[in-house]
Amino acid sequence: MSEIKPIDRVYEKVTAKDAPIDYLMGQELTLLLKLSNRIKKYKAKNDIHGTFRLAVLGSYSIQHFVSMLDAFLMGLGIDTEIYEGEYDGIRMDVLDDDSAFYAFKPDMVLLMMDHRDIKVYPQVLQDEKSVDELVSQVMSGFDTIWSRIKKCAPGCQILQTNMVLPPLRPLGNLEAGVAYSDMEFLRRINSRLATAHPDGVTIVDMEYLASYFGKKGWFDYSSYFLTKAGYSPDALPLVCASFARLIASARGKVYKCLVMDLDNTLWGGVVGDDGYDGIELDPHNAVGEAYRHFQRYIKALKDRGVILAVCSKNNEDTAKEPFEKNPDMILKLSDISCFVANWEDKAQNIKNIATMLNIGVDSLVFVDDNPAEREIVKNYLPQVYVVDLPEDPAYYAMALEESNAFSWIEITEEDIKRSGTYAANEQRKELMESFVDYDEYLKALDMSASVGSPEGAQMKRFAQLINKSNQFNLRTIRYSEEQLLAMKDDGIHRLIYVDLNDKFSSYGIISCIVLEKRGDDCFIDTWLMSCRVLKRGVENLALDTVVTTAKEMGCSRLIGEYIPTAKNKMVENFYPSLGFGSLGDGKFELMLEEYSKKEYFIQIVK
Amino acid sequence: MTETMTKLQDIFRDFFDDEDIVLTDETTADDIDGWDSLTHVQLIVAVEKAFSVKFSTVEVMKLKNVGEFAALIEKKTA
Repeated sequence: MSEIKPIDRVYEKVTAKDAPIDYLMGQELTLLLKLSNRIKKYKAKNDIHGTFRLAVLGSYSIQHFVSMLDAFLMGLGIDTEIYEGEYDGIRMDVLDDDSAFYAFKPDMVLLMMDHRDIKVYPQVLQDEKSVDELVSQVMSGFDTIWSRIKKCAPGCQILQTNMVLPPLRPLGNLEAGVAYSDMEFLRRINSRLATAHPDGVTIVDMEYLASYFGKKGWFDYSSYFLTKAGYSPDALPLVCASFARLIASARGKVYKCLVMDLDNTLWGGVVGDDGYDGIELDPHNAVGEAYRHFQRYIKALKDRGVILAVCSKNNEDTAKEPFEKNPDMILKLSDISCFVANWEDKAQNIKNIATMLNIGVDSLVFVDDNPAEREIVKNYLPQVYVVDLPEDPAYYAMALEESNAFSWIEITEEDIKRSGTYAANEQRKELMESFVDYDEYLKALDMSASVGSPEGAQMKRFAQLINKSNQFNLRTIRYSEEQLLAMKDDGIHRLIYVDLNDKFSSYGIISCIVLEKRGDDCFIDTWLMSCRVLKRGVENLALDTVVTTAKEMGCSRLIGEYIPTAKNKMVENFYPSLGFGSLGDGKFELMLEEYSKKEYFIQIVK
Repeated sequence: MTETMTKLQDIFRDFFDDEDIVLTDETTADDIDGWDSLTHVQLIVAVEKAFSVKFSTVEVMKLKNVGEFAALIEKKTA
């Protein structure tokens, strides 16, 4: 009998595409290095090639980063084909139109740079204005690289690292007090990177990672001189985990909602026993302050668009009392989009929360102080990201932060409105109950919509929906913002968005359609809608627009297709329900001549 | 094989995830799959831990083969 080594178990989970980031982060560095080697051999031996094409270019040595990142991505089920640039070969790859990098046709490129890439630093006593001019010069270097990539690899998403400020300070403490110091110079470059990068470029905050890790350990000079690795190998897992999460977000694997337990998670004690005013939330007590600190962090997550839900074993009235009556509560009932308190099992309740919010179970993050409850959720709902809270509530917020779950690639206006929209849903439900006839209800909602081709900032939201929507999505084809911009003007495609308002909320863009002219046929390449606006007649309004647009394109027939996925069963019969005839093989047709205008209760506004 | 060499061989086998590694004095990085500059640094750390010794950048740079490595360890632990 041969013993099963830890490396074997981890290897098995990764190749089964069942190794979440936090699981791998719990492993030792030497094990992860071995794992990366094994994965490399495994891919080579079985001739495995991924569909997601990722290029990594670095001005320092990146080979171990690349192979470890590949293992992290495989663990998440992202099949990746990687192009690894030469050591210090960024310019060689990017500035040569015939480079192997462009021939690779990347979907995404990671540009790994650091302060050693910057060749000219300010002189001591140099004035601030000329320091800023130097910053501008550095920025134009970045612009050259980005615009060349956009030109030669259209549609390629760019992830650009910012500058890690090194721990060496020739000016000592003065570095923080003058414009001409290396530190201040690098800081200014970082702040320009934050605000001046174009669409399609995402800045990756390496400076945060290095500070979090500890600069002294990050810059292991001996290993840099020996290996040119940019940062200590000890930091590799942290860096890989951050990139893996960002890449997963960009590929549509986004966590949107935080599901929270109440007793001993949001406050100390048990509300059922201690009463709404007896639970521990006192700002003058260290324990109470710890829970308030956690609530404050959660409130900040809500304000940036994370949906909040409660899942608690309690009587509903008792559970709501602290939110309504305890003045030390930071979270209010209006912050919670879905409140579930009963005595049923949590796994089932969490599933119901996903259904009520119309989002996938795999977009939920769960926090609970009770390890037994966490275990049940992990076992029954492995798609949910369960954060292991430590014993001490003082560290709850940090544990949630370290989970890195809500690392989105961007935030749009709609994200921020959304958490409010879900709360308004409750009022809408009440309105519905006061109507017997559904049409009367729809009329009373006073809905209005605007329809058109996405412009400017709308494109960001359009791309975000294309990459996020899973359920009401007929073909689930993903496009980056860059690709969509190119399609918009190529003369073959037409992009259509629908933006909806009703008397309770403004939803922003909730439906995206991409049409493609194929001779006399107009092919519906993409049709998706946010599930928040189901059964409002938006589909009918959208079909009217599609028909009009197809006619403008000179087509006589619409062709739709349904490609089944694990999540889009709800639209299986979408085309037949709109009057399309089946062509078999998941394809449907509608002759434009035979189309008669649909009924809906949405006013179209300019 | 000396005691140091045997211990070193065990570390190498575990570190490079390869039970077939056999070390001689003449073994170099070219002979072992996966032994590159970065794993070298990690390997040094593993060896430092196992023998409770510390190597400087200069010492790490000078090593030509496993024989020299073993000799350096023996010098430090003597």
